[in-house]
Amino acid sequence: MIIRGKVATTIKVALVALISAVLLTLTQSAFAKKEYVIAAFLAATIFAINFTYFSKRSVPLKFFLPGILLLAAFVITPILYTVVMSTYNYKTGNYISKEEAIDRIKALALEPDENNSAFDIVVGEFQTSDALLVSDIVNDSYFISTPERRIELNKNQVELDENLVAQASNGFTKLDAGEISASQAAIKRYLYNNEYFITVENLNVGAVFRQSLEYLPQQDIFRSLISDAIYRDNSNGNYVNPEDKSDFLEPGWRDPAWFTNYVRLINDERVRDPLISVFIWTVVFATVTVITQFAFGLLLALALNKPIRGRRIYRSILILPYAMPSVMSILIWGGMFNTEFGAVNEILGSNIAWFQDPTFARVAVILVNLWLGFPYFYLVSSGSLQAIPSELLEAAAIDGANPRQVFSKVTLPLLLQILSPLLIASFAFNFNNFNLIYLLTGGGPREQLDGEIAGATDILISYTYQIAFGSNLQDLGLASAISVLIFFLVASISLYGVRKSKVLESFS
Amino acid sequence: MKKKLFRGFAVLATLALAAGLAVTPAHANKNIVVWADESRGPNLTTTLETKGNWVPGYTVTIKSFANFDALKDAIDKATATTGPDIVVGANDWVPTLAKNGKLAPVTLTASQRARFSASQFYDLSYKKKLYGIPVDVNNVAMIYNTKLVTSAPKSFGDMVDYYKANKTSKSLKAGLCVAGGGMSWGAHSVFSALGADAYYFKSNGSINKSRSFNPNTFGNNVKKFLMDGKKSNGFFPATDTGCKDNFLAGDVPFAIIGNWEWNDYKAKGFTMNLMPVPGASAGRSGNAFGSVSGALLTTFAAANGVEAAAKSLLVDFFGSTAGQVAYQLNEKRPPAEKGASTDATVTDGQKGFGASAAAASIPQVGAILNGPSGTSYWDSAPAYWTAVLVDGKDAVKEAKKLVSIWRANLRAAYSDL
Repeated sequence: MIIRGKVATTIKVALVALISAVLLTLTQSAFAKKEYVIAAFLAATIFAINFTYFSKRSVPLKFFLPGILLLAAFVITPILYTVVMSTYNYKTGNYISKEEAIDRIKALALEPDENNSAFDIVVGEFQTSDALLVSDIVNDSYFISTPERRIELNKNQVELDENLVAQASNGFTKLDAGEISASQAAIKRYLYNNEYFITVENLNVGAVFRQSLEYLPQQDIFRSLISDAIYRDNSNGNYVNPEDKSDFLEPGWRDPAWFTNYVRLINDERVRDPLISVFIWTVVFATVTVITQFAFGLLLALALNKPIRGRRIYRSILILPYAMPSVMSILIWGGMFNTEFGAVNEILGSNIAWFQDPTFARVAVILVNLWLGFPYFYLVSSGSLQAIPSELLEAAAIDGANPRQVFSKVTLPLLLQILSPLLIASFAFNFNNFNLIYLLTGGGPREQLDGEIAGATDILISYTYQIAFGSNLQDLGLASAISVLIFFLVASISLYGVRKSKVLESFS
Repeated sequence: MKKKLFRGFAVLATLALAAGLAVTPAHANKNIVVWADESRGPNLTTTLETKGNWVPGYTVTIKSFANFDALKDAIDKATATTGPDIVVGANDWVPTLAKNGKLAPVTLTASQRARFSASQFYDLSYKKKLYGIPVDVNNVAMIYNTKLVTSAPKSFGDMVDYYKANKTSKSLKAGLCVAGGGMSWGAHSVFSALGADAYYFKSNGSINKSRSFNPNTFGNNVKKFLMDGKKSNGFFPATDTGCKDNFLAGDVPFAIIGNWEWNDYKAKGFTMNLMPVPGASAGRSGNAFGSVSGALLTTFAAANGVEAAAKSLLVDFFGSTAGQVAYQLNEKRPPAEKGASTDATVTDGQKGFGASAAAASIPQVGAILNGPSGTSYWDSAPAYWTAVLVDGKDAVKEAKKLVSIWRANLRAAYSDL
């Protein structure tokens, strides 16, 4: 049934209105949370949707727009974000913006007095000024403190509770919790003496501090009010004392480092050496995986291409590894390769430490990946074999070619022509096969006691994950730089695949 | 005309729907938001439903996360507009979150500090500033199966001797294994029992920056007690796989278990035969990490205008005897606060783990333990067990590598202590 006319228009208007309304809500929410880039993107999306579906300028765009928007949101934006982050000093300790870091340093620049003095307080008002009624029980002293002055009180000028904490005094008006939250009383500094002040530590306690640093915005420096030391922006995300480079203020901020992370990939041997070995293994892993999966899948396709008994049952069974969620398969295989309890060692009658030995771990990774991937190549090879004209095979046989020659000279070249783009795509996929490595070996084994960061089965993407999230100390900028490198490698491989496809299109 | 009408209608419909859908952000200046994991979150909610006025005039909203990792991920990504005022989290989050400017310091009065042992503040401090209140004690202790072992072992050698004598006759799968806390955190008491503490303390309670374990002593103890020539003697497996099941099945006589899983052992009929791992020589014990979970104050509390109230909640609820007793009635972990830990409502299980921690434990100092990827304590400790017990590498040589890593981590942490 095709809906036309006013009904169709009404449905269209209602749908666009609903989508726009949802997006507008999200825009408002993003704007309120100061996520301006997201808010701008959502606003542009609303405009694009309304413009596209309420005008007749471009009919094809009406079909492409959802895809384009989703591509921009979930593919292009993360890529751009990663590229930008790769140019930043963005790691543990350099996580927030510079403005936030300055605010935090200012907030942390409080030094307690030598006794770590803290008093029971009541927050209130005294003579129209915010004030604290302070009880120094240890010294049997009571006073009212405002931001400007301190008024000493005798014991008979205050009303004490059973803990000897002053609760009221003449002229002092206590604020309740709601009034405190509505006022600025809790965040003010109240006079203690010439050097120190009292801050509201919680609603009943005040603590004595002095300011230890001051920020001078014109010069963009912090100055120690105690030692006179100066802390300057070191252009790498921290305020550092030029006299002593190990003396710096925390937190730092994420600061543009331009190509520093890329230079580290080449110059820093702790990064470069593991990266090279990981890159070599990644290429080997992806290549061997594609070759073994294709070879095994093709072998089975050739075997089942002949009319044999129970062929349908065999075909159904062969699809099973493909039908099962790979995460489950990988975890089950992980258990089967367990040294002490695993089925593999039980069957072989061996005691191989599959995941402790680098070579065995690599073999296990390739075997499991073969299990996961061969059904796909079996399926595509079966289909492609059907597509090869039988006349060609018959002609070769009539010309005297034996079955092996028919396969190697006719079937395989034709199959490779058809399947080349899929082989290249599979190579690109396995280049980034994070799930397999992470779930099966975790990238290991690695000789951690010798300081190895990368494991024997780590591929580039799992190594990147290790750098970014493998410990409490994260280096997101460096991980982004490696991600960009991987992106260009995989993009190049994919581009090659696309070109190969075009060649085949013209061939066919 | 009709088209214009439709377009006008579309615009109006959009605005009307948006107005209807729009959620106005709640004015949160009298509401303290606390984030917690899937266990602590619901139990905090239950506790606060029973009694909620810990900070008069303020409400408390608890947000629970699916698991501890999800909570960590959320706090890592939290911003001033989305973050909580307090997060109940692990002590080893403190250095990282403080470095990243997400935690705000807390100042306690002398009487408030006296409610906790001084070592508990190590766990929640970074660069001499305290960032939260100790809430519950997370520790491990060694349990022994009284159906197999009639009396508590006096030394590490006693356990090994028992294992060797009964390995075949009782079909033992191991002698001692780590069921709780993994081969780094949970296994520290074994490292320590054999002579390798992650760090040492001076008599004044400060960390001894110049002392590390002796790799020869430790390595030789590993050879003596855990090896049979170049192979593991099977007493101490290099992984925690299957340990809990094997112990519960009576196939392992000694196991290191976590206090959070005590109910599983109780359900199987085990009683309170908990103790520290006995040392290489009689009378000594291996120190377990006696860490605490903390209610940590975030910098977002100040941005939300509730910093003073959030600090009140920390002190008056999370840090008080009444608050911890009320909460631990639901959460059932050993309370960190001294008064709560001796309260009549605290179970024997909670007290048993507390007693074991009191006997032999060291605080978990995240600044030292959280090194770079690959060389942190968390990575290097299990790597040692694998290298020696699985790969058959020389225990002393590997111990020398281990001590150099731990020394480097200690040096790197100097400025953070």
